[in-house]
Amino acid sequence: MRIYLLLLIFLAISMVGWSQKSTLSGYITDASNGEAVMGAKIVIPSLNMGALTNTYGFYSLTIPSGKYLVEFSSTLFPKEFREIDLSENLSFNFELGIKSQDFQEITISAKQGENVNSTKMGQIELDIEKIKTLPAFMGEVDVIKAIQLLPGVSSVSEGGQGFYVRGGGPDQNLVLLDEGVVYNAAHLFGFFSVFNSDAVKSVNLIKGGMPANFGGRMSSVLEVHMNEGNNKKFHVTGGIGIISSRLTIEGPLVKNKGSFIISARRTYIDLIMKAAIPDSSPFAGSSYYFYDVNAKFNYKIGDKDRIFLSGYYGKDVFSFKDKKGGFGVNMPWGNGIAALRWNHLFSNKLFMNVTSTFSDYMFKFGSQQDQFRFELASGIRDVGGKVDFSYFPNTRHRMKWGADYIYHTFTPSSVSAQSDSVVFNTGSAQKLYSHESAIYALDDFDLNEKLRLNIGFRYSMYQHVGPFTRYIKGDISKPDTSINYSKGDVLKFYHGLEPRLSLRWLLDENSSIKAGYSYNYQYVHLTSLSAVSLPTDIWFPSTDKVKPQQGWQGSIGYFRNFKDNKYEFSVEAYYKGMKNLIEYKEGALPGDNVNDNTDNLLVFGKGWAYGIEFFLKKSVGKFTGWIGYTWAKTERKFPDLNNGNIYPAKYDRRHDLSIVGTYKLNERWTFSSAFIYATGNTLTLPTSWYIQDQNLLYNYGARNSTRMAPYHRLDISATLYDKPTKKVTDKATGKEIQVKKNFRSNWSFSVYNVYNRSNPFFLYVDSNGNFSSGDFKITVKQVSLFPIIPSATWNFQF
Amino acid sequence: MQLGIFNFNMKKLFLFLPLILLGFLTSCSKEVKIDIPGYVEQLVVDGSIQTDQPPIILLSNTQDIYAPTNFTAYLNSFVTGAIITISDGTNTVILDEICTDNLPPGTESFAAAVFGIPVDQLVNLHLCAYTTFNTAMWGQIGKTYTLTISNEGKTYTSTTTIPQPTALNSMVWHPAGGFLDYGYLTGQLSDPVNEVDSYKWEIKRISDPMYSKPFNPFFNDQFFNGLTFNFETQNPIEDMSTPPQYKGYFRLGDTLILKMSKLGRKEYSFFDKKFNQIYSAGSPFATPLNIPTNITGGAMGVWVGYSPWYDTIICE
Repeated sequence: MRIYLLLLIFLAISMVGWSQKSTLSGYITDASNGEAVMGAKIVIPSLNMGALTNTYGFYSLTIPSGKYLVEFSSTLFPKEFREIDLSENLSFNFELGIKSQDFQEITISAKQGENVNSTKMGQIELDIEKIKTLPAFMGEVDVIKAIQLLPGVSSVSEGGQGFYVRGGGPDQNLVLLDEGVVYNAAHLFGFFSVFNSDAVKSVNLIKGGMPANFGGRMSSVLEVHMNEGNNKKFHVTGGIGIISSRLTIEGPLVKNKGSFIISARRTYIDLIMKAAIPDSSPFAGSSYYFYDVNAKFNYKIGDKDRIFLSGYYGKDVFSFKDKKGGFGVNMPWGNGIAALRWNHLFSNKLFMNVTSTFSDYMFKFGSQQDQFRFELASGIRDVGGKVDFSYFPNTRHRMKWGADYIYHTFTPSSVSAQSDSVVFNTGSAQKLYSHESAIYALDDFDLNEKLRLNIGFRYSMYQHVGPFTRYIKGDISKPDTSINYSKGDVLKFYHGLEPRLSLRWLLDENSSIKAGYSYNYQYVHLTSLSAVSLPTDIWFPSTDKVKPQQGWQGSIGYFRNFKDNKYEFSVEAYYKGMKNLIEYKEGALPGDNVNDNTDNLLVFGKGWAYGIEFFLKKSVGKFTGWIGYTWAKTERKFPDLNNGNIYPAKYDRRHDLSIVGTYKLNERWTFSSAFIYATGNTLTLPTSWYIQDQNLLYNYGARNSTRMAPYHRLDISATLYDKPTKKVTDKATGKEIQVKKNFRSNWSFSVYNVYNRSNPFFLYVDSNGNFSSGDFKITVKQVSLFPIIPSATWNFQF
Repeated sequence: MQLGIFNFNMKKLFLFLPLILLGFLTSCSKEVKIDIPGYVEQLVVDGSIQTDQPPIILLSNTQDIYAPTNFTAYLNSFVTGAIITISDGTNTVILDEICTDNLPPGTESFAAAVFGIPVDQLVNLHLCAYTTFNTAMWGQIGKTYTLTISNEGKTYTSTTTIPQPTALNSMVWHPAGGFLDYGYLTGQLSDPVNEVDSYKWEIKRISDPMYSKPFNPFFNDQFFNGLTFNFETQNPIEDMSTPPQYKGYFRLGDTLILKMSKLGRKEYSFFDKKFNQIYSAGSPFATPLNIPTNITGGAMGVWVGYSPWYDTIICE
């Protein structure tokens, strides 16, 4: 009820002064390829008013009727002006024309003041073109590694794709690829991202002050948008690297109306392994590879309707063979994501997007030893839909409302085992079914010249439904019992209100104070046995036993731009409270479903995190880059872990520093470097040892009481572009002239870990020898992953 | 199926992948010295009682992870001078402390096996175990034994019961493919229904002084409760005279004694977690695992009752 009241109030406010105004609206596209330009700026300098385009390139601006000089620009395009007579509502689509070769010169001119003006807190957009110039591990341009360089974001481990935002867990990040949920954003045990940079258009990270249109995760939203495809001409882009190659083809389906893009990538580690392991080796046949394909189609049905179909499919396959030991492992895993979207313009002020999504993640592990076979499968499948409305009543208000729904099917673990013809009783595959839905409304509005508010509410609901068998474990003296639920039975219904608020108070033209509050429910959980992120980590839903995670975050920050907006500075402090977090019981091993449920292995607790982040960024000039520093602390308290005492989270890091710099020497050479320093991760190591029946056993100390050595690393890169033009003889005049080349290429050289630091990946306690021979020794060992790794990639496009 | 496999337990296969990775990764490891806080010395109890045998208890102390690991340190970790009593509900007996430098005749090889030290070295050392020669306190099927330990002003207690034994239906030798003189054993087990059964598996040649056991000799019926099934087993006996190609096989003409013991569910849990720890210790892919104990009072270790069933197999 309260939501409707608030909506009415917003509508009433927006009605004020409606008369004698006209609306200028339309789509902004890139003239070279017809792609929608998101975040493009439309400004009426004489009124000092403006609007930004949404994800689909749509804008709407309601202003007093009259003749205006209108300015159009974006991060990649310089300002262009058009004289517009706005005597009545006008639909005005605009193609941003000349793409500047020197986009860095103008990046911030379009975004001028955004840092200070918007209500966005803890939100960072990264330009894919800029990410491509950063040093790339093994030559693979990686959006996740780029966001790990931002303050408040830390990587799970060396080279890992998992990331922690402001002390939250890696499952608390909502990763969206064209609005489809990505459950595992990693290839190769986490060293590479599933996002192929050639298919990516933009990356947006929200780490605090999450707007009400997002939900389902507690810590952050990472929105990755795919390119739409060139709707004017066919275009091929590709790259050949040391471990993988990629190829993208795009072009018009119907010129200026519809286009497609297909982007594929594959590694050739398996071919390298095949060459390296001779056929005579017992390990012959062991291999690893991954591939992924991104595809997207879009079509304009008319001026008011447009449809998009995006898809992603990627798979990793790891196999290990030991013929001598009669042992083999085969382990495939991967994601499939599809999203069908329909944009509709009800009026020049009301924009609607309807999305239906499908997301599937599966992991399989099969092993064979002689006649004994064992298989384990785990997965999650989502089918969902959502509808979002954007309403632009006037320049003071930007409203959104909508609803979403997902039907989840979880298979936390399904095990089968057999020896010859005897099939073992491993229990039937347990599936868990649930409905998750939410409604929301928000308004981003200017109360006065200084105060801008973004108020939103989200109401989320979740049902755990049958069929399901709940096993109740007896203790040693009592037998186990079970309860069977049929299809459609509701085992548990959770629901709750998630208020969101952020505000900006403009101190002067160049500085502002912002504050934010958000409350979130999260109904899915990632259960991890390990200290590092692995595909064996299992997604698990809320059940009658597992309550949804709940968390709130409050943050406050000071934002300032210097030197004519060339420098942006911000400092943000946050506190985050979390409850109903899950962990495995001490010593738990998931694996079978014999009269048991996975959630019987879980324990529940709470956590909190606080910190302060400093960010200084220079986006203009030959030299660009940023410095980010975070001081943070994050702790957990579980009654059933660590004797109920508070312990640091495994990714509790006091200091995190990243320095990123890019220097554009000339048209052909660009140099980049990135340095990171982070306090070492925590882990639990044995404090003592003892002997039982001649076996050496360990006794572990307090959870996460040991800290690894600090992590630091320097990466550098250089990109050499070919000459953009070539000389040809003009047939008409016979003179030599310079023309643009159709075929363009560049070489990208990177060096990872320049000073070859042995950073700790993990530590373990090792023992060797035996007592009776007097050479027994226990040592603590540190494993490091990547030494200095140079790489080169050749990229091309035509 | 091979017995070695179901010892391996299917759950642990789940840990196998990380171990493979670990194998790749540990190739680039180096020794470091970092602060590992939180060491507290604790008493470790390693006690067992089986049908028709005296109870045997070894006591030791846990050692700091960075403590010296030479032979003297190992010897010094054993605890002497504790007062230990065992009660079967009717009688209570105080155990005798028997030390290796003063062993009763005929017990030397047994003591050597208990401590894992050759006889010639053992008799020159002062290592003590606690036991009794009072046959009234030797193990009997179905009885519950309460252990009480007093050491340095602290008291520790535990109980264990000797369960009913289970027999195999059969156990026979077959020549292995390609060999005439060496083969494997196939057996058939009918697991009792409606109870959780835990087993320990040992075997010896009739002439061997002690039983040999596979790396993890413990398994339970989690996956075959109530089933009758056939299995194969490998030879765990270490014998330097066996040519390497015959390792794991049983020799034609040998007479073998099989000992399959039952133990309680709680006691099994100690061994299950113990071997889980041994398989996964140090792996970053597994949660650190402290082994549960059935000893109260702050000690580590186990007090376990076994009921063995014996079978004689002639390899022919």
